Amino acid sequence: MGSFAGVLIDATLITLVLALAATGLAVVFGLIGVVNMGHGAFLTLGAYFTWAGIQAGLPFLIAVVLSALGVGLIGLILELVLIRHFYDRPFETLLLTWGMFLVVTELIKIVFGTDFRNVPSPLPGTLSMGDIQIPAYRLAVSLFTIVLLFGLAGLLFHTSVGLRVRALVQQQESAALLGLNVERLYRQVFTLGAALAGLAGALISPMLSIDPYIGNVFLVRSFFVVTLGGLGQILGGTVVGSFIIGGSETLFALFSSQVVAQTIVFALAIVLLRFRPTGLLGSDRR
Amino acid sequence: MEKTFGRVSRRTALKGVAGAVAAMAAPSVITKAWAATPIKVGVISPLTGAWTVYGKAHYSGFELAVGEINKAGGVLGRPIEIVVGDSKTEPRIVVEQANRLIRQERVDFLAGTFSSAERNAAGPVVAQSGKLLLYPTWYEGQSQEFYPGVCNKGIFMFGPEPSQQVWPHVDYIMKKHGKRFFLIGSDYAWPRETNKMFKEKFKELGGEVVGEVYIPFNTPQYESVLRDIRNAKAEVVFHSLTGSDTVNFRRQMHAAGMNKDIALWTVDDEEVVTSGLGPEVSAGTYVSFDYFMTIDQPNNKAFLEKFRAKYGPDALVNTVGVGMYNAAHMLALAIAKAGATDTAKVRDALGGLTFEQAPQGPVRMRADDHQAVLPSYLMQVRNNWTGVNDMFQQVQALPSVDPVPAKCKLPL
Amino acid sequence: MSMAVADGRARNRRLGEEIVAAVLFLLLTAIPVVTSGYVVYILPQYMLYGMLAMSLALLWGNVGILSFGQAAFFALGGYALGIVMKEPLAINPAYVGLLVALVSAALIAALVGWFLFSAGVRDSYFVLVTLALSIIAEQIAVSQSQWTGGWNGLFLMRMDLTLGSALTYSLTEDAPAYYAVLVVMVITYAVLRALTRSRFGKLLAGIRENELRMTSLGVSVPLCKTLAFAVSGAVASLSGALYGMHSGFVSPSLGGVQFSTEIVVWVAIAGRSSLLAALIGGITVSSISNLLSSITPQYWQLCIGILFILVIAYFRGGVAAALPSLLGRFRSHP
Repeated sequence: MGSFAGVLIDATLITLVLALAATGLAVVFGLIGVVNMGHGAFLTLGAYFTWAGIQAGLPFLIAVVLSALGVGLIGLILELVLIRHFYDRPFETLLLTWGMFLVVTELIKIVFGTDFRNVPSPLPGTLSMGDIQIPAYRLAVSLFTIVLLFGLAGLLFHTSVGLRVRALVQQQESAALLGLNVERLYRQVFTLGAALAGLAGALISPMLSIDPYIGNVFLVRSFFVVTLGGLGQILGGTVVGSFIIGGSETLFALFSSQVVAQTIVFALAIVLLRFRPTGLLGSDRR
Repeated sequence: MEKTFGRVSRRTALKGVAGAVAAMAAPSVITKAWAATPIKVGVISPLTGAWTVYGKAHYSGFELAVGEINKAGGVLGRPIEIVVGDSKTEPRIVVEQANRLIRQERVDFLAGTFSSAERNAAGPVVAQSGKLLLYPTWYEGQSQEFYPGVCNKGIFMFGPEPSQQVWPHVDYIMKKHGKRFFLIGSDYAWPRETNKMFKEKFKELGGEVVGEVYIPFNTPQYESVLRDIRNAKAEVVFHSLTGSDTVNFRRQMHAAGMNKDIALWTVDDEEVVTSGLGPEVSAGTYVSFDYFMTIDQPNNKAFLEKFRAKYGPDALVNTVGVGMYNAAHMLALAIAKAGATDTAKVRDALGGLTFEQAPQGPVRMRADDHQAVLPSYLMQVRNNWTGVNDMFQQVQALPSVDPVPAKCKLPL
Repeated sequence: MSMAVADGRARNRRLGEEIVAAVLFLLLTAIPVVTSGYVVYILPQYMLYGMLAMSLALLWGNVGILSFGQAAFFALGGYALGIVMKEPLAINPAYVGLLVALVSAALIAALVGWFLFSAGVRDSYFVLVTLALSIIAEQIAVSQSQWTGGWNGLFLMRMDLTLGSALTYSLTEDAPAYYAVLVVMVITYAVLRALTRSRFGKLLAGIRENELRMTSLGVSVPLCKTLAFAVSGAVASLSGALYGMHSGFVSPSLGGVQFSTEIVVWVAIAGRSSLLAALIGGITVSSISNLLSSITPQYWQLCIGILFILVIAYFRGGVAAALPSLLGRFRSHP
């Protein structure tokens, strides 16, 4: 029984960390349909900025906030220079953001070097629940993820900005007719997505080794999280998608090897995508 | 020399882009040529891609040795010239680079490649061209079914294999920490073979394997594995994960508070990775290799002085860098002994050769299976270490360990 | 009148392409005659990359399907040939291996394609699926080590082309291997080109322009897309099999995401809508990568990345689309 609870807790923690990593993409891909292949690079940048902040003697939380803002700023610049000209051509944005990923990764290597970097855990130690040990920092990040997701959902459903974004998601032309500044809204959403990716990279940095490829691990997984959950379903979709991709991997690994578990999960994701192309929680409007 | 240059320039006109580069390089060849034609060695290092973190030590080990050799007047009165090829950590690119170095740069020897997959990629090229490859990395041992990646008479192994890196220390760790071992490794040949060899010795000594897991590359989260380790009541984790996975796993094991009651013995995490882990996460763990920067050896002191003079006081070197360093020096010794750069003669001269000044103490290259006879050290990571100088505490040291004979048709 | 002019232009462009193709193939034929060494060794591998690029251009340029999974089929071909060649067979195992590579890739592509296209999975979603295909291919190659040799890779022998017991043409030497690959490449180009010109090719172009209209005309869009995906998979697999034979070694990263996206980079830079451009792109971009990486190993990828962004942002049709208009400008302002 204790082992079952252990599995459940593991699956929950994995689900929530993956959800955190995918949130930025859920915003950018889910709301304005930009297939942001640079998402992984944004995560990586967030982690490196945090490392640099800690090296400069900043407290962890300040470093995290600055990283999120910094990556958001970079996202904003990229949007202004490149992305905004291509919103109507999804393939081009996909390719451009992939190019962004290539360039950012190389710049990281040149600026920060390629050694493994290391952000010490700000909350060392574990909490015991019966005979189950939970790493304190991971728990804190998971709780934060829940708050973040609820916060974003609240923003989307209970504020005027959210109303406008939803109008945009529903029907782009009529949103423009209604006098919404579509261009500005796109810019805000893209910047927010980049900042969220930076935030996720910053918060994940104490759990993982930081290398120029750290974001890659999450890139494809994040895409599946967002698609399986359903585009635009920031709260429920991200959690459900993360559970299918991350949590179920934990469960499959109980009965098979890790490699097989990962393969099954990706195959399962393809099958789900076929039968629910709008995502598990998506409406059938597409 | 005139004649050679004439041939190069005629080709230049025909080869198009590739030739243009040769033409640009030609003037430098001429200026050097008035002294003596250099002996060219192609060095394939992971300068970009996933293993970049090892690339620096890998390349600089060889470069340092070549600098020393040339300063002392070269070999047979000729300097050694390095032609570098970036493997991009891709076996596919190794094939390209190895062929470029041999066919276009016309190198006399090849050194490097990092992972077993990279070495295997170079194997057919080496076999076909009849050149030598000097391979520096710790690896899984040789077995005829993987010819020409191993059991290849053109490949010399300068790094340790499991019977050297692992066997000498099993007994010590069992006596100190208990008989319940959990094996975790990345999912490929080196960890699997290492664990197979480990278990051979381990069963003999009466140990019990309570779990054996192989992890796919780039796995970010380890909750379920850590739970298995705890549930299995393991006393020691025998660890052969590689790359970023090793760091991720160990940080998460530490975060789960498991380092307190479970010992960890890694056969992967040398100076570079342990530096990346930081003192809290790495404290108390065991590492075994043929070389560490902190080993107490007069040769090592001299070596580090030169290394730091060239690459700065904080530069890291490790078993691979030293493997490359030894490879360059032993190649020079072999060429001098053979009196020629002819592959067959140098191959014969290199077999059985001993390099007295190797940083880890004298190293001998075995003639019949091309494996190096090396020392073996077991180190424990100190608490609160501040850098490589106080990182490791020596636990056990064997000055010279013979590897088990390669499972090949011998002699190679 | 204007129709006639447009027609004439199209004919001119086609003629232009044919001339370029002829010049390219003649040049490639001449290279081993005038030189030897590394160029003759390495070009066949780049020609096979060019074939791989054509397999993507067929999908992307002609049907509007972007695939990040071409590397998966490339690796499948390499492994299929390698595994079959290990078996002692009555007929030349290399022939059987090539056949297995072609058929298995076509079948898998057809199954996956039909499964997804019949449900209307498209655009970015299909890209996502093909990305997953690449990951799965790499994982299978790593984990099924009893067949694939796992992460350490699988060795292949250079094959002999035999005809009965009388005729043997060994591909061990560089020049014979070069010409064998060149012939396959030219035939592949000719076949794919004929395919895009055929009635079927017109259907594919129609689907790219307007799927709904084709459906209303009674065309089975999923079937057409599936067929195109199967042909593309088979071509990618054939090039992978020959690549494995030529390099002597295949490893899991051949099927991975990174290589898949490299293919996309080649085709994007060269021009997705022309098979010939893709072919040239595959050959030249990989040559330039090789060249740059031996001059500045640390910066080559940065250069490629920046070039890639510039091309996508400013020359949407790639170099192939940019060149004629640039040349045209020269011509009109002498």
